[in-house]
Amino acid sequence: MDTIAYQGLIGLSLAMYLWLLSAGLTIIFGVLGVLNFAHGSLFMVGAYLAFTFYGLVGFPFWLAIALSMLGVGLLGLVMERWFLRHLYHLDHAYQLLLTFGFILILDDAVKMIWGGVFKIPQIPRFLDGAWPLFGRRFPVYNAFIIGVGVLVAVGLWWLFERTWWGRTVRATASEREMANALGINVPGVFSGVFAVGSMLAALGGALGTPVRVVAPGIGAAMIIQAFTITVIGGLGSLKGAFIGSLIVGILGAYATLYFPAFELAFLFIVMALVLMLRPQGLVAR
Amino acid sequence: MDSKGGEAANRRPWHALFGGLASPLGWALAALALLLAFLPFLAGRYPLYLAIQILILSVFSLGFNLLFGYTGLLSFGQAGFYAVGSYACAKILLATPSLLLGLLGGLVAAGTTAVVLGVLCIRHTRVYFSMLTLAFGMMIYSVAWKWRDVTGGDDGLVGIPRAPLEVPPLFSLSLASMERYYYVVLLCAGLAIWLMYRLVHSPLGLALQAIRDSETRAAFAGIPVARYRLIAFTIAGLYAGLAGALLPPLENTVTPPIAHWSHSAEPVLATLLGGINAFAGPVVGAFLLFMLKDIIVRYTEYWLIVLGVIVVVLVMGFRGGVVSILAEAVHRRARRDRRGEGETEGIRRSGNGLGE
Amino acid sequence: MRNRTGLLEGLVALALLALPVQGMAQTLGVPVIKVGVQGVASGSHADYGRQIMMGATMALEEINAAGGILGTKLEMKFMDDENKPAVGVKNARYLVTEWGAHFMYGTDSSGVAMAMGPVLAELKRIHFFTHAATHRLTEELVAGKGIQEIVRVSVPVYQDAVTAAMIFKDRPEIKRWATIGADYEYGYSTWNLFKDTLKKYRPDVEFVAAAWAPFWTMDFSPHIAAVMAAKPDAILATPWAGEAVMLLRQALLQGVFDQVGAWWQAMGGSVDVLEGITKEVQDNKFKGKLWATARYIHNWPDTPENRAFVERFQKRWGRLPNYSAETTYSALYITKAAVEKARSLETAKVVEAMKGMQIMTPGGQRAFRSEDHQFVYTVPAGRVVWDPKYPIAVLGDLRVVPAKDYYRYPPFTPVAVTR
Repeated sequence: MDTIAYQGLIGLSLAMYLWLLSAGLTIIFGVLGVLNFAHGSLFMVGAYLAFTFYGLVGFPFWLAIALSMLGVGLLGLVMERWFLRHLYHLDHAYQLLLTFGFILILDDAVKMIWGGVFKIPQIPRFLDGAWPLFGRRFPVYNAFIIGVGVLVAVGLWWLFERTWWGRTVRATASEREMANALGINVPGVFSGVFAVGSMLAALGGALGTPVRVVAPGIGAAMIIQAFTITVIGGLGSLKGAFIGSLIVGILGAYATLYFPAFELAFLFIVMALVLMLRPQGLVAR
Repeated sequence: MDSKGGEAANRRPWHALFGGLASPLGWALAALALLLAFLPFLAGRYPLYLAIQILILSVFSLGFNLLFGYTGLLSFGQAGFYAVGSYACAKILLATPSLLLGLLGGLVAAGTTAVVLGVLCIRHTRVYFSMLTLAFGMMIYSVAWKWRDVTGGDDGLVGIPRAPLEVPPLFSLSLASMERYYYVVLLCAGLAIWLMYRLVHSPLGLALQAIRDSETRAAFAGIPVARYRLIAFTIAGLYAGLAGALLPPLENTVTPPIAHWSHSAEPVLATLLGGINAFAGPVVGAFLLFMLKDIIVRYTEYWLIVLGVIVVVLVMGFRGGVVSILAEAVHRRARRDRRGEGETEGIRRSGNGLGE
Repeated sequence: MRNRTGLLEGLVALALLALPVQGMAQTLGVPVIKVGVQGVASGSHADYGRQIMMGATMALEEINAAGGILGTKLEMKFMDDENKPAVGVKNARYLVTEWGAHFMYGTDSSGVAMAMGPVLAELKRIHFFTHAATHRLTEELVAGKGIQEIVRVSVPVYQDAVTAAMIFKDRPEIKRWATIGADYEYGYSTWNLFKDTLKKYRPDVEFVAAAWAPFWTMDFSPHIAAVMAAKPDAILATPWAGEAVMLLRQALLQGVFDQVGAWWQAMGGSVDVLEGITKEVQDNKFKGKLWATARYIHNWPDTPENRAFVERFQKRWGRLPNYSAETTYSALYITKAAVEKARSLETAKVVEAMKGMQIMTPGGQRAFRSEDHQFVYTVPAGRVVWDPKYPIAVLGDLRVVPAKDYYRYPPFTPVAVTR
């Protein structure tokens, strides 16, 4: 029983990384209708920036994370404003292709700037350690990640349900032309949303730096998982992305424990099943 | 391509073939054919090896573009069918070394897989379709990686012979030399290209383009949309399978990465580079993509960023790819009287594009 | 193009004839000896390709400064094999048929190595494998299929698996073993080889849990948790490079080192891993329970040859040499010795010249085994400790098990390569 609970908690912390990545992806798709292939690369750049500010420059951890989010938010803004924006009137395929091009560029760019070898800074003192739980030791770091994930979930809910900006965004998402007619600066909303989504990706990447390596390609490894989660949850639904992350993270942890053979295919089987049986995702909009 | 272009294409096949290049084209094609026919005598073994790889990628991309450029479905899982063709051929060659059997087996396996998965995929379009194909492609990848007993797992299948081309009672031609195998691949690729050419200029080809342009209108005109999409999907799968089956005799090894989505991206990039709207786009693109990477890696390890920049530039400004750039240049020089420059504005969508 | 090269060669030879000192160049008949080198150059395993390149470059510079091989200088080209068999094979073809490589070196991935084997026979060029560890390369492709063009200069998976068994058989209190394994052939072979060997000495041991992590695993928390649920006495871990550092960090967070008696990190003695965990070792977080080995460690053997090599390497590159650097460096010197003995670049003659070869290298005395083309040498295992003499953590409390005691010998019985 203890084993099951412990493994589940570990899975929960894994789910939170995935949630941070999927949240940004979902927001961008829900509002702009763009599936941002380069999202994993933004995650990776976030990790690199956090490593630089925290591990190399020596800023406090929280400041490094904030700066990293700002930096990637800016990068996302550039990507949307000067590139993506010009393709909205075309077939979606071109938007996909463009973001794919960005993956190639960013992957090599980090290699050129930081070198190809992996980086890993020291873990912040206050996050080092473990709590006794279920007869074992549960790392403080994992608990921290769970906390951040929940905070982000609550924060996003509040942002989209309770603020003026959030309502504007939702209006734009569902009725683009009407929003335009009402005088809403639709291009501005799009840029803003893309920036917010990018910042969430950066947060995910930055949070992982002390316990995971920072290396070229770490984004590509996670983006496929993020895609499947967004699809499982329902493209464009934040609640769905959260639930999807929980499913993938927690079930994945249990799979490691009980069904090691299925890990790799498991994710895609679930995604395919959802797409075929309930294409709008698990959470109805 | 609107229907007027389609009719015109039937009357002047060269124009459709190269998006509007004039008749120096005939000479160009003849020169190319000659070059390809005599390549083993003109070039060393490595360029020959490259040529074989380019031909394989061409076949792969041609099938992909039938689905994308002509039918409007962007698949990110074609590598899955490529892998099925590859592994099937490899297993056959390891058991009975006969190239024809291997190729046939690869085709059948890939085609069957495509039909089965196609039934599941084509009910969706756009993003959902792309995601579903991505999922299935990666599932095939995990099977290849995990099923050690059959696929050899991450080690893959090794020691695959470059089996002879034989029809047992009649003849047996050894293909041990790279030169001979090159001619076999050239023949297969040539056949595949010719078949595809006939296909896209057939009523089926026109119907697919109609479906791409507007699903509702096509259905209204009596075209069985779902069935034709499935046919396109299957043909794309067959082409991927053929390309895959041509690989094992060349490399003597088959490993899981050929099923990975990053391999599925290759025909996408090749077609984008060459030109989505031109028949020869995928072939030209395959050549460019291969040569680009091959040359760049000799000088720097940072070839991804070069490729990425090219992709961004093409998507932003030259969506018709290299072929359309060339065609425009010839266009302007010949000062042809053409209505509109619509041909190069990417995949055409009528109405509000909500064909779902 | 070939004809022009022949003419050029002839002219060069003629010109060189005029200089009495350079008369030797005629022995080999080429203006320069071309060596092609491959390794992983990106991702979390990128350091190995870099180290291969660093080792090769240093050897090349030294050999050239001393006049080359039989008076002919060397020229090198490094290519990234991206850890993918298809790329490795393509590069090999390019290096030999287009660039004209006479010999090839490197390769980290066992998958790439296995794919390359048959192609080497087709290209008729020797490849000195300096990292890829799969026993199948030498047991199946050389001893089994007779491919002469494969030569391995680094220790194979026997080091990762059998050495561990040899050390821990003498720890009676460690009975329950678990593994956090790399989810591909290397991980399976190591675990199976370890189990088979240990069982022979200690029928009382149990293997209680196994968790498998594929390439690109970023978070080993579930694997660690899964394995710890079975309360093992010791853990054998095979993820390497950046993944090893992550795994160890995450294991520390879960308090693993308070609970187990030992942790064997197969390639934990590699420089990039030691660099990544130095701080934790200084703080004694591993409580002396972390054991590791490598395919060469810079602080053993304590010979003048090795000390000089390490010093030169540090001066040249600013870092300590990793095992892939030393093995590649040695491979080039082995080439020199073989070509000098054969007085030819021809593959068959060079292979013949290696038979019975015993050569002193930084890693110790290496002896060639004709049955499987393996250069046999000893590498110790030890605890990961902090020694102020060195800038990073090192292996200390070394246990030296002579290679002849743990290497496998023909006829080779197959090892299960499934999990």
